Amino acid sequence: MIEKPRIKLPKETKRAEIFQIKTLVSHPMENGLRRDKDGAMIPRKIINSFTCEFNGRPVFSCDLDTAVAANPYLEFAARIEQSGTFRFTWRDDDGSTITADETVTVVP
Amino acid sequence: MNRRVGLIVASVAFAGAVALSVLTIGERRGLAETKRPPLIATDGEAALRPWGRYADPSWPRTDFSKFNTLADGTVSPPAPKEPRKLSAPVAGDAINGQKLVADRSRGGSCLACHVMGPAGAADLPGDVGPDLSEIGNAGRDDEWLLNYVYDARVYNAETVMPPWGTHGVFDEREISDIVAFLKTLKAPARFNTEVDNPAKRPVPVETRDNLDPLENPGMWAIDRAPTLWQLRGPSGSSCATCHDQSDSMFKTWAATMPKWEPRLGKVLGVEEFVARHARATTGSNWPMESDENTALAVYLRYLANDAPIAVDITSAPAKEAYERGKALAARKIGQLNFACVDCHTSEKSGLRWIRGQWLGEFRGQLDHFPTWRTSRQSTWDIRKRFQWCAVAIGSNELPPDAPEYGDLELYIAALNAGLKLNVPGIRH
Amino acid sequence: MKRNIALWRRSNAGARASGTANPTTRREVLASSFMIATIALVGQRSALADLPAATAEVEKFSMGRKAVPGRITIGLPEIAENGNSVPLAVVVDSPMTPEDHVTEVLLIADRNPRPVIATFRFTPMMGRAQASTRIRLAATQNVIVLANTSVGGLLIGQRPVKVTIGGCGG
Repeated sequence: MIEKPRIKLPKETKRAEIFQIKTLVSHPMENGLRRDKDGAMIPRKIINSFTCEFNGRPVFSCDLDTAVAANPYLEFAARIEQSGTFRFTWRDDDGSTITADETVTVVP
Repeated sequence: MNRRVGLIVASVAFAGAVALSVLTIGERRGLAETKRPPLIATDGEAALRPWGRYADPSWPRTDFSKFNTLADGTVSPPAPKEPRKLSAPVAGDAINGQKLVADRSRGGSCLACHVMGPAGAADLPGDVGPDLSEIGNAGRDDEWLLNYVYDARVYNAETVMPPWGTHGVFDEREISDIVAFLKTLKAPARFNTEVDNPAKRPVPVETRDNLDPLENPGMWAIDRAPTLWQLRGPSGSSCATCHDQSDSMFKTWAATMPKWEPRLGKVLGVEEFVARHARATTGSNWPMESDENTALAVYLRYLANDAPIAVDITSAPAKEAYERGKALAARKIGQLNFACVDCHTSEKSGLRWIRGQWLGEFRGQLDHFPTWRTSRQSTWDIRKRFQWCAVAIGSNELPPDAPEYGDLELYIAALNAGLKLNVPGIRH
Repeated sequence: MKRNIALWRRSNAGARASGTANPTTRREVLASSFMIATIALVGQRSALADLPAATAEVEKFSMGRKAVPGRITIGLPEIAENGNSVPLAVVVDSPMTPEDHVTEVLLIADRNPRPVIATFRFTPMMGRAQASTRIRLAATQNVIVLANTSVGGLLIGQRPVKVTIGGCGG
């Protein structure tokens, strides 16, 4: 996970108007079924969970298995009533996490 | 020998670095923008030596030394001078023949190019070659069928059909089995779904936005490259020492590549230029196909996005390189005996389906390179694409900096003249 | 089989009317009635009954309930350019209110070595039951989507996708 995750969402939104959140994180999503050049199985190592919370409340989350493509892309709808911060968390099989925060302002 | 080459390379780099270091930044920038040819390391190679096939297991490990490559020399077995005569009808196992025509491990299988009646129950047959669903009723005798599969060149010197027998993809017994199966094909194909029928399959149209970072992971190169630009090499300088990315020259430079390089007597593409120029200036070692080289190759074209491809083929050596490239595009190579033109011109078999993949023509294939490949989850430059095509059709690839690849790239770039760069691409 | 279905309908009538579910009574009869519905839903080329791993995942998620088709829309290309990265979009017709919203969504590739692709967890804060991702498909197959609702409902949708076979290996 060398690259920074990509997150696209509006900086401002109207109250209760539905918008899209798009995320992309760099990860090989090694499914445990591939062999390396010497024929040995490459062990499974994937992002197995993604959560999105807004001001601490769950919005969308996902348990991922090995059939999610490398560089996992997750897009979903969201709707907020007040300004605040979205927190995105990706968790790797090895327990490590990547976290990113994005603020969105509700405008009249 | 390696140490001596290394010493010479190091001295050139050092000399270049010393020359740069005594200049002010303004003078260095001025140097970068003068009409003098840019500094390049003229000795050593721009890619790893000895060249070995990529370790990634998705690249076949087979050594194809017995077959032609784009390099000079003919090693492929010659075509037979005339058809073999059959003393008796073919006695083959049609059931095994049906398995063989679908066997993807043997040169793509017959279904890659032919619809074949009940065998067409397999997904997505191709239409490079004629529909063979009724070949059993077409009045072709066993001798004709056997020779056509064994080596069609005895009937048609211009054929695209691989010489399955002469080149040892199938042995004689297997070809008899295939012929036995062909003789059973007497009814039009019935397709499971409409898209299985190549005549009804919609031609893919690329609609993705290359430059949308959520769509195209290849855009991560655009994040990485500016860091590489600032990275000081062993000489103590970086790209930034002489170059500001916002300089107007970068708005067109990559669109004028590849270019004939007189100091090396070959055509240089962006990737090879980066390897040799970095070595001669900052001392950074960024051989072709390294992550750094590919990221910068993407970036340099990205800076020139929307500039129309405009390569020089008017100077005498460039013209010669163009003609060599044109000849290389028509050269038959590999166990499957294909030339680039066989798949990528409409005069031959371009604009048709090879199994489930659409074959495009040369024009329109270069403007988006280097491209992110969704099937590989990595970015490939055009040289790696040449190498893959070589291996996929059963020939040993050349190193990425091979002069033949430079000539071929120049020829293809000339065919893409006027198309605007749109890099990094995203493709299957 | 007919008798089991009759039993299931009788025991289910009251449960459906009240909007609650009682998995224990219905588990015995889930297999036959559910699979009949699903086989009709899935094309005849790949009856789910022939795919035990995928069937097991569907049954586990269903917990004896009858799956209702028609409210899940699945976006998939007709032909995927390769099996390594296939865009998949899921939209469920649901008011997404605190009282009535989609909760879990199970994505299944019926011929993958591991059939479960992912499980989405939706909340009313999404406003719309919609999410997309990119998936790996080992071969031409069906993608089956099952969704739980907060009122105990089970929804189903499925869509076939052809995975392009390369000519020279791509």
